[in-house]
Amino acid sequence: MIPSDHFVRYYNEVFKAVDSLGRDHLYAYWRKLGESQIQKIGEKFRKGGLEACYEYWKVIKEEENCDAQLSLTDDYFELDMKRCPSLSKVLDNDASPFPLYCDHCMGWIRPVMEYAGLHLVFDINSRIEPRCRIRIYKDRFKAELFQAE
Amino acid sequence: MDFYRTLNATISYIAERYGEDFLKKTFRMMAHDVYRSIREDLRKGDPKQLIEHWAYYFDRENGEYEICRQGDEINFKVNKCPAIRYLQEQHINISPHFCSQTVEVNKALAEDTPFEIITKITGRGSCRQVIRKRP
Repeated sequence: MIPSDHFVRYYNEVFKAVDSLGRDHLYAYWRKLGESQIQKIGEKFRKGGLEACYEYWKVIKEEENCDAQLSLTDDYFELDMKRCPSLSKVLDNDASPFPLYCDHCMGWIRPVMEYAGLHLVFDINSRIEPRCRIRIYKDRFKAELFQAE
Repeated sequence: MDFYRTLNATISYIAERYGEDFLKKTFRMMAHDVYRSIREDLRKGDPKQLIEHWAYYFDRENGEYEICRQGDEINFKVNKCPAIRYLQEQHINISPHFCSQTVEVNKALAEDTPFEIITKITGRGSCRQVIRKRP
């Protein structure tokens, strides 16, 4: 059994293997994972909107011991990740990190948000440092404005 | 992220889309690159790190298991696998290839070492993993 704690390291190896077949294969795989998450959280986000996103990531923050700040406004939910446990584990590993490791988050969250009618903006500060910022908007226009900043 | 759900979805997707050999390749990468240190010890003839790894993660994830030595063999008997238990509790369809992670990682860990690791799936959520010196 690959322990849950090591899953992200296996994930990192799968990304390398699938990407070796072509980038489109990798994107298709991430989308498929997003579809598998729809069953669990897509409906919750669709019904509960930004508050449901906030509640979901509040639990994730505790369960996965994330150093992150969560904010909820009338317009958006924001996850400001100061130290991502997932990339940290991949970096703390005998195997090398996949260069686009961070992009998998956007890859699986986007289909979930599309299902929920919400709009995701992902700001990857650095792909080699475990920090990033995710904002989820109710309004597509406001999301696009933030994306353009 | 729901790790076991995603692991199951990944195994299912890779096996269906790319076939079993490709899936085995990913487990081999895991065994050779991520578990490099365990494999280096096995090559030196020392299985201690692997046994500790099994016990540590099964304790942490509340698995039910027994480890016993019988002569030169070390038996790791899994009575309740925490990953299978979780998937069952969540009513998730378990990929028929799910346990091949254990079989193939063990096989790849033992490659080019003095050991062989035989994995026998004995039921849904139970298996026996045996480490012994190659004849």
